[in-house]
Order: sequence, then structure tokens, then C-alpha cells
Amino acid sequence: MKLRRRDFLKATAAVSAVAMVGCGAPKNNALAPMDPKKAIGEDPGKWISTTCQGCTTWDPIQVFVQDGRAVKVRGNPNSKGNMGTCCPRAHMGLQQLYDPDRVKVPMKRTNPKKGRGIDPKFVPISWDEALNIIADKMMELRNNGEAHKYMLNRGRYTYMRDMIYDAMTKIYGSPNNISHSSICAEAEKSGAFYTHGYWDYRDYDLTRTKYLLIWGLDPLVSNRQVPFVIKTFGDVLDKATVTVVDPKLNASAAKAHNWLPLLPGTDGALAVAIAHVLLTEDLWYKPFVGDFKDSVNHFKAGVTLDESSFEEKYTNGIIKWWNLELKDKTPEWAEKECGISAEVIYKTAREMSVAAPSVCVWMGPGAAMHVRGTYSAMAVEALCGLLGNLDNIGGTMMKGKTLAAKMPKLDDYKDKIAKIKHKYKIDQRGYLEFPALNKGKSGGGVVTNNLADGMLQKDPMEIKMGIGYMNNFAFSGTGAQRWEKAMSELEFYVHITTNASEMTQFADIVLPATIATFEKWGYLKSKANLHSQVSLLQPVVEPIWDVRTDETEIPFLIAEKLAERGFDNLLRYYKEQIKDPETGKGASNAREFAEISVKYYTAPAWDGSGKIGDKINGWEEYKAVGVWNDDRYGYKKSWGKFKTETKKFEFYSETLKKALGKHAKKHNVDVDKVLEVCNYEARGEKAFVPHYEAPFRYGSFEEYPLTFIDHKSRLNKEGRSANTPWYQEFKKVDLGDESWDDVLKINPDDAAKYGIKNGDMVRITSTNGSFTIKAKLWEGLRPGTITKCYGQGHWAYGRVAALDYKNAEPRGFNNNELMPCDYDRLSGSTARNGGFCGVKIEKV
Amino acid sequence: MAKMAMVIDRQKCVGCGACGIACKTENNTQGRKDGQSFNWADFMLKTEGKFPSVKFTALPVLCNHCSNAACVDACPVTPKAMFKTKDGITMHNDERCIGCRSCQEACPYSVWDLREEGEYSVISFNSDDEETHPAYRDKTELIAGCTSSGAEIAAKTGSLPPMATAYKHPEYDSVRRKGIVEKCILCSHRLANGENAYCADSCPSGARIVGDINDPNSKVSILLKTYDYEVLKPEAGTKPNVYYIRNYSIK
Repeated sequence: MKLRRRDFLKATAAVSAVAMVGCGAPKNNALAPMDPKKAIGEDPGKWISTTCQGCTTWDPIQVFVQDGRAVKVRGNPNSKGNMGTCCPRAHMGLQQLYDPDRVKVPMKRTNPKKGRGIDPKFVPISWDEALNIIADKMMELRNNGEAHKYMLNRGRYTYMRDMIYDAMTKIYGSPNNISHSSICAEAEKSGAFYTHGYWDYRDYDLTRTKYLLIWGLDPLVSNRQVPFVIKTFGDVLDKATVTVVDPKLNASAAKAHNWLPLLPGTDGALAVAIAHVLLTEDLWYKPFVGDFKDSVNHFKAGVTLDESSFEEKYTNGIIKWWNLELKDKTPEWAEKECGISAEVIYKTAREMSVAAPSVCVWMGPGAAMHVRGTYSAMAVEALCGLLGNLDNIGGTMMKGKTLAAKMPKLDDYKDKIAKIKHKYKIDQRGYLEFPALNKGKSGGGVVTNNLADGMLQKDPMEIKMGIGYMNNFAFSGTGAQRWEKAMSELEFYVHITTNASEMTQFADIVLPATIATFEKWGYLKSKANLHSQVSLLQPVVEPIWDVRTDETEIPFLIAEKLAERGFDNLLRYYKEQIKDPETGKGASNAREFAEISVKYYTAPAWDGSGKIGDKINGWEEYKAVGVWNDDRYGYKKSWGKFKTETKKFEFYSETLKKALGKHAKKHNVDVDKVLEVCNYEARGEKAFVPHYEAPFRYGSFEEYPLTFIDHKSRLNKEGRSANTPWYQEFKKVDLGDESWDDVLKINPDDAAKYGIKNGDMVRITSTNGSFTIKAKLWEGLRPGTITKCYGQGHWAYGRVAALDYKNAEPRGFNNNELMPCDYDRLSGSTARNGGFCGVKIEKV
Repeated sequence: MAKMAMVIDRQKCVGCGACGIACKTENNTQGRKDGQSFNWADFMLKTEGKFPSVKFTALPVLCNHCSNAACVDACPVTPKAMFKTKDGITMHNDERCIGCRSCQEACPYSVWDLREEGEYSVISFNSDDEETHPAYRDKTELIAGCTSSGAEIAAKTGSLPPMATAYKHPEYDSVRRKGIVEKCILCSHRLANGENAYCADSCPSGARIVGDINDPNSKVSILLKTYDYEVLKPEAGTKPNVYYIRNYSIK
């Protein structure tokens, strides 16, 4: 039909043209000039500074606003961390802001039955009614001596989290403020902390590096400074050697000099073999590590050495490490474990030593978020010690300072209930089997994914009520089925969200939230390019719905309702402690509180009191520039002052020894027992050195012959972009993926074995679940492994994300339902890498 | 006379997708439907070879603003709706376009109906069956009375689409009507005011450079003198003005 129409038009074009000639002067067809009388160019508008929260880059950006509408986005040119760039995620924010499926009013559940596919039968209610219901429930628990049965769940946050996550939960009187932090990160911090006393993500001196070793991540795609890496990568390729260690081809590997597709979970083996070569071939960086007293290299494979023979400079325990782990870890041994040839291991170690100390060892979740991941993270990070690249020119860096105020003390506002000490939280952190040693402290870190099991077991307490904000644990936690069960059984849940997500399906009250970046007050701390930053989020447009800011306005509104019911401690805290630094006044309403609290926290960055970094004159200027930059981080200042037990870079970790010892003592067991219960292989002294532990796997190779690899998307925005058409349209930019679909990527050799052709539907089964999905034959991964990008598989959220929202039918499937729930227990991190998920496939 | 061109540095390009999405925010193109992508900036993505010697490449594609533009030749109306401006942009006039799609058929970089995964088309056709941006005309709600609708957001913001970048140009509307074709016009409304094409501004790697190749001192001219370059489908004889330098992979 279209063809017919086209032919008709072609045939009649001459007639049209004649008619047109009659309307105006004919012009030269080939070079028709533009009509000079007509206006040309953009309508007036203004660039307003804010921050993208599409990933943990927390990229300072600006939004162009025309006539009260957000219309386009760019990197904030005032940021020294991103040099004025943003990645594709920031642009997608516009479709999140103007998402037709946004929740626009508070909702109340009218169907008491909860579960996937059961319509909650939400009805609209007023803010007042919603807040009354919430406050009544909170007071009921307090009055019954059950305040501890309330929990707060934090998802994507800004540093205004203090107001809802800490102040509200603690003054109300519950120990159960549970963050999302360990679902997708944390394990790598173990690597840095137990070697050099740094519990944080590292920075990288990319503009000066001579060797970039990317290990277990794709910094062009995800991790913590995506725009800066994209900006510099092309030049890094010219100036440095780039090597990528990842079991599947990633975007960085596609451009790099070298790709080392190791077997999933064997990162530790490759790392200790590289260390072995650096030592046996006399290639370590002596100004940092030191040397044998007789200046003769005694590191020979298999030979145990005397500790007194070596004089260390800034390091601790090189000989212990050698004796306990490295002496037998030859490249020839490693080749059998990790699938990378000995020849490549030698070459990699030698090339890095030539570039040392200007080497960036960039370790990411793929090398750390394993069952037993703390030790592989330590093994990779320990290379920084041998190469002397930590805080050295062109190397792996720690971070500078950020100027921000601290949360005012809560003590005076805690009543008898709030002062009750609870030994454990609902996520069971600090239990014998959950050391979660954040900064070495037993139970110091969160075990987010175990919250579901704590709730189901009612251990250490029953949970009767929860408030969650911008979290979607029923989608984002592995073993996601547990979350659906736990949430179905929960008596009362309040979800603060922008969209009716998976978690929302279990909520009793839903509160519509502002969209971060565009409608929310907040601030963030981030770093890249050796600059730490304090970046502002501010409303760039007036929300078109009656939505409120999750971290400040909503807790203030709840505090008002609690005060009406006779408990005014929280409201007094907000009004008395959070004062506008310019006027000295507290907030008189929730809306004021949202801005005043951000002013309070960011004041040191703009009130002239700071002695470092950008000089910003006042709040108005800060709102205009949007970001405060610290001075460039200095080299070598940390040397000799590492925050480890020995102040040295610890190849033998006294820091981990102390942490494990304290946790063991708390439970009246020895360290070996802790390691046994937590499923680590090491016993004795080996537990205190970086070493290789074999990957732990769910499913035998006999029954589940393929190993599943979960990988990240360049377009995922903390699980919140799948409902935007632009996400679906450009999904293909994830290597091997297809637009508007979710595909299981299979090596063609494996596919042939099972008689699978490109585009066939296949069934994939793990010990945790079984799903039907479209097969994509792809050469970017080794035979024996199989991969799918994380992000699709929403069965709720909206009409684009889900294939059929009404019937809870997902687009593809969620990797977190395939992968079983387990942990790197020393850090509390959820395992999602490291070859722990065996699968089988069949054609359907 | 100027001749505007784009040079794309493939070593810098990381295939992230930012240019493609940013273009949609600048030029207010609608979402894919009926075999039309409306992606004025798009990508060709290829994985070749056999593990472990496997090669992935991303190639950003857009209108080539050809010197010998087949689409202009094919345009049957007088004066032509598809025409070359004096500075070399292949321009499209919304008012004169009759939606016959002859340009789409003639362009070696366009197809009538996108069927295969990974296909792209420089020229798209706004169907005359339906007004453009139907998602923001839709009145249905996901959860009755609780969630919004596209039409409601369009009404509240007074804009369709709600995030439309408002600009003016003598030849084309910032949001095109139904029943006509549309394609990249090299952000002529920006170049005219000394600004850069928005895809080039939005490329975080700095891979896209727009300039006048008739000016020997322009950055594009210098890049083309410094590096070997390629164009897409030179055999079609259209003399494209989007030039690709260096290689995606350093290997």
C-alpha cells in the first residue's frame, strides 16, 4: 500500500511543483539559499548545574532549560573530574523525567494479597492521608515496644541520606537502617584496605600513565568515572600500553593492545603469577619495596627464604608473602588454572615493570565480587605494592579531600527507646558467618542481600514495617526470588519511588519521589582525574507532579506527623540542628528543609572557610557553578603513612589479621573456624596474605557445564533506565546485544554442540532458576562460558521496561533470578562474578 | 565556498551511544516505529573473527552530506525539498516535502524498511497514518489515576515531546510533522550561530569534528591531511563528506 502511495506521489510531483511555483519564486534546486528573513537558532534557555546519578560516577552535569522544561544535557564545564563531558546515561535522564509511567500521586494498596503478578489494586490518596497512615503505624510500633521492628532501606542516595537513613531511623529507635551498598560493590575495597589501608574506590592518573591494566571491569562502560575515561582513552592508547583482563570481550578490550580472557574467578591465580615473575626476574620497584640486603635476587621458584634477608622500605611482609604463597605460583602453574598462557603472563609482568611506577592497576568488581573475592581483590591490588605505582605519577591513586559538613549529633534527641542497644541488625552483619569487615570492623559493613533471609527467618528480630527509597532489591539482589517471598510476607511497606518498580508491587503505601538530577536537592562527593569534587543536585525544573524529595522532604513530613502524635524529637532535631548557614534559621516546612539541609552540608565548599580547592563565593555562586573541585591530588604523600596496622603497604596483612582475630574472638572461635564457616580455603597464616583461592561454583560441571558471566550495560542507570525508549533503542551499544531485546550470548562452538542457531529460543537453567531466552551467537567469549548483560528482565517498572506490565511479563529475564545468592563474606558483598554460577542450556 | 564535513576519529570513539541519544534530544526525533528508526545519528556494530582473535568495532553513522547527493537527485519536487546549501549541507525543506520517499530509496545509506538487526537508515519517514511522537499523545495510564500518561505530560509541559529543544530554522521545524521524511541537517540551526553540531558537542571522547574542508586551516582539513581516511560506500559515487580516520582498535 505504501508503495502504491509513493508511486502516486512521484507521478503527481510535477503537478505539486507547478502549484508551488505559483506560491513563490523558483530557486536553484542544487543550491537553494535559506530565507534570510526567517529566524535561525535556539530559543532562549539557561544551562543549570546539577549532577547525573545514572551510575556511581556522579557526574557533574548541566541541563538546558527552556520555558521551564528540561530539554538537553551536557557535562558541567566547571568540573575538573570530567572535563565537561557526560556519557550516554545523562541524556537518557530526560526520558526518565518525562516518563509517562511516573507515579504522580501517593498510592494506597487495596489488595492485601502480595506477590508477583498479583495486582496491588493501587488507588490514589492524598499526601496527608498517606503520611497519617505511615505515622500511625510507626507510633503503633513504638508504643508496643517494637520500634526495632521498623526498617529503613536505602537505594540510590545522595549524601543527604543522613536525614532519612541515619537521623530518622536512629531517633525513631530502630537499629535497622539497611543500605544497598554491598549488592554490587564493596569487595574490591577489601583489596585496597588490607593491603594499603584504604577503604574506598581508587582514582587513576590516566593522563600520565604508561601502562593501564584494567582488571575485572570495563571503565568505558561502568564503574566510577566513565565520562573521564571516555574522554582520555583514545590518547591513553597512544601513550600507554592498555591490557584488559576480563573473561569476555568488553568495550575497553575491543580497543586495547592486549586482552587476557581468563577463566571466570581465576583472577587471583593470574595476579600471584604476575607477582611471581616480578620477583623472580628482579623486576619489582625497589624504591618502594626495598631489596635483599646483599643486593642479590634470591627469589627462585620453590625456594623458601629467610625474612631477615630482605630490607623493606614502604612495605611489610614481602618474604612472608613469598614463602606462604608466591614461591610456587609460577606462570606455568597459573596457565592451568586461569587459561592464560605462561608466555602472556611473563610478557605482561615484564612490560608492566618497564612502565613502573607509572602503571595504573585498575581493579574492578569482576575481580572481586566473588565468593572468596576478598583474596582475589587483595592479590590484584598487591601488584600496586610491587610496582610502586600507588600514589605515584601515572599510577593508581587514593583521594584528596572534600569539603562538607558533618551530621549534627543525634544523642540529645534520642529517648529511652532510641537508646536501647541492639547487638545485631536484620541483615545479620557481624554474625559468625557474616563478618562484613568494613574497614576491618566486625559487622561494620552491610550485607544487603541477606536482609531478605533475615526477614524470612525473623532473625535477629521480626520486621513488621519498612520504608524503602529508590531501592529495588526484588530486582537488584541475586537470588531475587527470596526478596519476592520476604516482601510478600512483610506486614507493611512504604516505597518511595518514581516508578511502580518490582519492589513497589509489594508496597502498602507508595510515595512519589522527585527525580534525582532534575527535581531534587542533594549533593555528592566524587573524584576523577585526581580531583575530588563536591557536586550539587538542584531542581532544574519545577516538578509537574506533587512529588517530594526522598531524603529530606519526606522524613520532615513524617517528623511533623510523629510530632502531632506526641513524638517530636525528630522534628526538633531537623529544625534545631539543621540551620541555614546564611540566616541561622531552621526550616519551617519540608520544602524549605530540602534546600536548607543541602546548604548546611555544602557550606564549607562555598562559605569561604575552606583553605583548599576552588574558591567559591557564596551559595548563589555555588548553585551557578554546581561543583567544587579539590586541588590536584599530590604524589607519594601517603607513603609511610598508609592507614594499615604497620603504616606500610602490607603484603602480609597485619590489618586483616587483627580484623579476623577480633571477629573470631567475638564468637569465641579461632580464625580458621571463621574461614571455614565463611567458605574460604585458606587456613593458618595464609589467611593474612593475598593469595589464590579456587572459584566456588554452584552446580557441578557435569550437570551444569557452562559458566555464566553477568556483565554491565553502558546504559543502565542504577536499574532505572530500562523504561526509557532510548535505552531500548540503543541497547545494541552493549557489545553483542540487540536493541529492544535481551539476548543470551553463546560462543558459536558451544551453540553448535547444542544445535542452537542465532535467534533460537533456548532454556537456560542454574541451580537457582530456569528461563527461556533468545540466543545470540557471539565470538566475544570463550567456549564454556555464556553471558548476558544485566538490566533487562523487568516484570514491573513500566510499559517499556516490562513486556507486559499488567501480567508481570518480563522483557527477557533478570540475571539476578538466575544467579544464586551468596557472598564474599569477609566484605559482605554479594557474589555476582567469579564463575560461581554454573548453567546448562537446551534448545526449546 | 564552504563545504561542511565531519571527521570521526575512530581511535577516540568508544561506541558509547552518547551522540545517538544526544541527537535525539537536540533534534526531537520520535521513537522507532514501522521500520523507521528516526535516528539521525546511529551506529554500525560488528563483531568479527574467532575467539580469542575477535574484533569488535563500533562505527558511528549519520547523513554523509554527500557532494553528489543521490537523495537530492531523486527529489521530484520543484524547487527540491532535498537540496544542497551553499555550504554543502544536504538540507531538507519540510514544507516542500511531499513524503514520496524517493530520497530514502535513492540514498545508498538508507532503507525503506528496517528489518534486520543492526541495519540503519540515514533518512526516516514520518508515516502519514499517525501524528509524530505518539507516545506523548497516548492518554492511557499504567495505574489508573496514579501514574501519568504521555498526553498528560505533553499538556502539562505545553510541549510535544515534553523535552523538545525549541529552535528555529527557515527550512525545517524543530519537531517535524507527519507525512514527510527527515534526516540529519548537521545541526544547521546551530552552525548558523557559530555553535557546533550537538552530536559533536556531546561526544565525550571528542571523536566528532565538524568543519569546512575547503578551508585548509580548519581542524577537519588538518586531520584529513594528517591521517588516511575512509568514507562509506565510495563505490556509490555520492562523494560523502563524513570521513573516518584511524582505527577503532589499537591492535
